[in-house]
Amino acid sequence: MPELRKDPIIGRWVIIATERAKRPDQFSTQPEQGPLEKACPFCEGNESQTPPEIYAIRPRSTPRNTSGWELRVVSSIAPFLRIEGDLERRGKGLYDLMNGVGAHEIIIETNQHTANMADLSEDQIARVITCYIDRIMDLERDKRFKYVLVFKNYGWSAGGGRVKHSRSQLIATPVNPKRVKEELAGARFYYDYHERCVFCDLIKQELASKERVILELDGFVAVTPFAARFPFEIWILPKKHSCDFISLDMDARRHLGRVMKTVLSKLKKGLNDPAYNYVIHTAPFRREKLGYWKSIDYDYHWHIEIMPRLTRVAGFEWGTGFYICPLPPENAAQFLREVKV
Amino acid sequence: MAELRRDPVVGRWVIVDTDHPNKPEDFEYEQYIQKGGNCPFCYGNESQTPPEIEAFRSHGTARNTPGWQVRVVPNKFPALQIEGELDRRGMGIYDMSNGIGAHEVLIETPYHAKDISDLLNQEVENYLRMCCRRGIDLVKDRRFKYIMVFRNYGSAAGASLEHPHTQIIALPMVPKNVAEEIKGAEDYFEYRERCIFCDMIRQETQEKERVILENKHFLSFCPFVSRFPFEIWIIPKKHSGYFCHTPDEAIPDLASILKETIAKVKKVFVNLSYNFIIHSSPINGDGDVEYYHWHIEFMPKLMRVAGFEWGTGFYIDPTSPELAAKYLKAIKE
Repeated sequence: MPELRKDPIIGRWVIIATERAKRPDQFSTQPEQGPLEKACPFCEGNESQTPPEIYAIRPRSTPRNTSGWELRVVSSIAPFLRIEGDLERRGKGLYDLMNGVGAHEIIIETNQHTANMADLSEDQIARVITCYIDRIMDLERDKRFKYVLVFKNYGWSAGGGRVKHSRSQLIATPVNPKRVKEELAGARFYYDYHERCVFCDLIKQELASKERVILELDGFVAVTPFAARFPFEIWILPKKHSCDFISLDMDARRHLGRVMKTVLSKLKKGLNDPAYNYVIHTAPFRREKLGYWKSIDYDYHWHIEIMPRLTRVAGFEWGTGFYICPLPPENAAQFLREVKV
Repeated sequence: MAELRRDPVVGRWVIVDTDHPNKPEDFEYEQYIQKGGNCPFCYGNESQTPPEIEAFRSHGTARNTPGWQVRVVPNKFPALQIEGELDRRGMGIYDMSNGIGAHEVLIETPYHAKDISDLLNQEVENYLRMCCRRGIDLVKDRRFKYIMVFRNYGSAAGASLEHPHTQIIALPMVPKNVAEEIKGAEDYFEYRERCIFCDMIRQETQEKERVILENKHFLSFCPFVSRFPFEIWIIPKKHSGYFCHTPDEAIPDLASILKETIAKVKKVFVNLSYNFIIHSSPINGDGDVEYYHWHIEFMPKLMRVAGFEWGTGFYIDPTSPELAAKYLKAIKE
């Protein structure tokens, strides 16, 4: 009998289709047939092919926009949003709109032409995490922005471009994204009633049952969520409560680097290098304003959501927010636990 | 400068690229080419599907044999099961229920390779009548709260079988996005005592910029806050909460606008995969709903949707709906 499961935070129902479930190894992907690769503007030596760098980890002796760097952040060549200008909120009859003010940056994670983050070292991933934090803190000073979204599209079917050079993206937006708002509202609602963080409760329950735990390491836990939307969907959460990703100290960044490397390597090895996306879910900028709630530090818990692209999402899932997951998350977790990396 | 637009119903923000919009030739989408082979939905293969629930068929032909025009069967691999009582329960912080529901497949035509745009108007009308009939039948089951009618056409849209078909899922709960849409519409109604969709139709028919087609009963247009390039809505001009209550005299207009809209899109994008979903009111309560207005949402699969959009509910539309409507309007039959 299939099961209907409800996400405890935002209340979305998911069908876990046990009847037509496949075995975990049947999701293993074929090597992707994306279009031919273009010359890589992100490799060392090609710095002039990108917009000027915003941030870099490089020895003091090397000038900006030249070789010698280890990590580099540049504006997107085709930005969705632009940094210059005022928001100019306005109405048009029934509709509301504003100017597309924001930032859209590309984080080039390595000077080598490595494709998958799983193949970077733990230290390199820790540096990427430090870079995310530095960039978020810098953008927070711009009062026009409310939120910074950090995400990665790896592989053609995950929306990655033609160039296979490991990178992430960030977008600073003048509005809070809908999904973030829902999550915040759900967490606050739970906190109002229980006076506990829903994510902390979730971690406790997952660690007690162990069914959906992939690994527990260095203060982090990686689980497949109870109401997973996609096969092998993975959440990485800090065990210690914190609403804000940027609060990670140096040790924790290294630990998270190790956890991410392990999880991404398990995906790569177990499922034949699938395309994936991840998104960092963290609290919005907390500036005092009307309607600001003070409990956000207690009720929200930052985490990373990883979504491998193993099945096509059909239109009705888009339209209704109702997902059918063909693999119970318990089976996915068991499979990933057993992949040795 | 790009624009950020806010959906008036659910409050979602979308980035619309008005600076360097994608033109139709800029999209690198997956071409849908049929491969053929054995098809359980073709004439003569009726025994390969579960026994039929209902069909429009020629006089004198027996059930589960050829001679039908539209045929409805249970999904062979249903996501939900029809038998059993609903058993909601908790598990620590989690809530769950057994997967009770109906999952039916409506085979639109005996022709393996004909999309809706290739059918005769009368054939499309019969298809739509059957969708309504199934809706009305499933409403009788008190366990169900929502009936979802949707169509995946082409491999990139998630269709696993080539033969054109529509799926109907009856659910014991209201899906999240639908609940949000209804909440948004209700809030608007509470304040203004008008249906938000009726207001939208009024504004769209006045501005005309985003309108593709219009006939006596229906309007097709690119919504102001499109999540996807060339997204299209088809909506009844007269207020109506339930798709399955569409009066018979309006069916020919719905058939022709649906057929012509799809034909236009497929002329701009050959071998396109697409989805459409019928958004209708939930079925608890039989009175007419004042605040909600049923409509069809049509989504061409032109882009690989990136993780950012899944994770955040924040969409980027590279072609403004005004521009999309202009291209579609320019297509002559």
